[in-house]
Amino acid sequence: MARLNDDAQWIVLMGFIVSFSLFFLALMLNQSTVVGQTTAEAVSEFPKEDIRGVRTMIIDSFFLTDDGGPSALENRTWVQGEIRTLALSRQEAAVNFSHVADVTDTMGNIHSIYYIHFNNGMSEYSETYTFP
Amino acid sequence: MVIRANTDGQLFTIEGIAAALIMLVTVYLVVNSTSVYTSGDTHINDMQLEVIGTDALKMVNTPISGNGTGGQSPLALMVEKNDGDTFYRVFSNTLNNRTRGTPDSIQFVANISYVKPSDGTVNSTPLNMSRPIYGGEHAVHVSQWVMVENVKYPECSAFPSFCKGKHAALVEVLLWRD
Repeated sequence: MARLNDDAQWIVLMGFIVSFSLFFLALMLNQSTVVGQTTAEAVSEFPKEDIRGVRTMIIDSFFLTDDGGPSALENRTWVQGEIRTLALSRQEAAVNFSHVADVTDTMGNIHSIYYIHFNNGMSEYSETYTFP
Repeated sequence: MVIRANTDGQLFTIEGIAAALIMLVTVYLVVNSTSVYTSGDTHINDMQLEVIGTDALKMVNTPISGNGTGGQSPLALMVEKNDGDTFYRVFSNTLNNRTRGTPDSIQFVANISYVKPSDGTVNSTPLNMSRPIYGGEHAVHVSQWVMVENVKYPECSAFPSFCKGKHAALVEVLLWRD
């Protein structure tokens, strides 16, 4: 009577295991393409440099003055308006900032308090900047 | 009567599992073939290029004096004078030079975006470029803010006092590799 030869079952089982591991290694190699995509996209999406840049400009603009008079150099008004316009049209971000108050601490020093806001729809940043 | 496990069909069982796995793998490959995903789709290269470009542009936008009192950066001076030649030399070297071996081959187009004195809209004027951009390039965008005065924008002849004062401008650079 002809029947299945089951003499080499261990060898067959080993072959089975080896091919199974090879399959998983190939799967890992295949997935290595997409590893890092989330990281890269998150890094690209977060406007770190936009926020830093606009924050520096805003703080610099607080120290400008409107001269008025015959020279008519409205430096502070010009720069602050341009920061809002440029951020909105070139960096797709709504930027707002204002001088809130001057407070005097217990030592008699005067501190100026400013609000800075940045929002580009994805990321939002708010800061209370105190000088000095 | 002794009841014992019937071990006659072991090889058939293994063969069946193997066949099932082969079918599963086939289905997996067929379904996956509808979306071919290359490494360019993962934006890892874009992210790296963006970081390199931002760092290079930021170096050009760092004041040289370094005394912390906020002197003007080389980039702001180049924007004020519309000095594209100096920008090309400095930025290209900063971007492409490596500590050893051949330099990198990152291409760039740099523009200055500013608010027009005439009507308050935003305009861009070219600063310099390594070669023109034709549209097939896959470029990333980096930018740096500068504060400038005594600018030489195209509209300045009609608005001399406006151009004498301080203004915010945005240096925008597109970067790509050939």
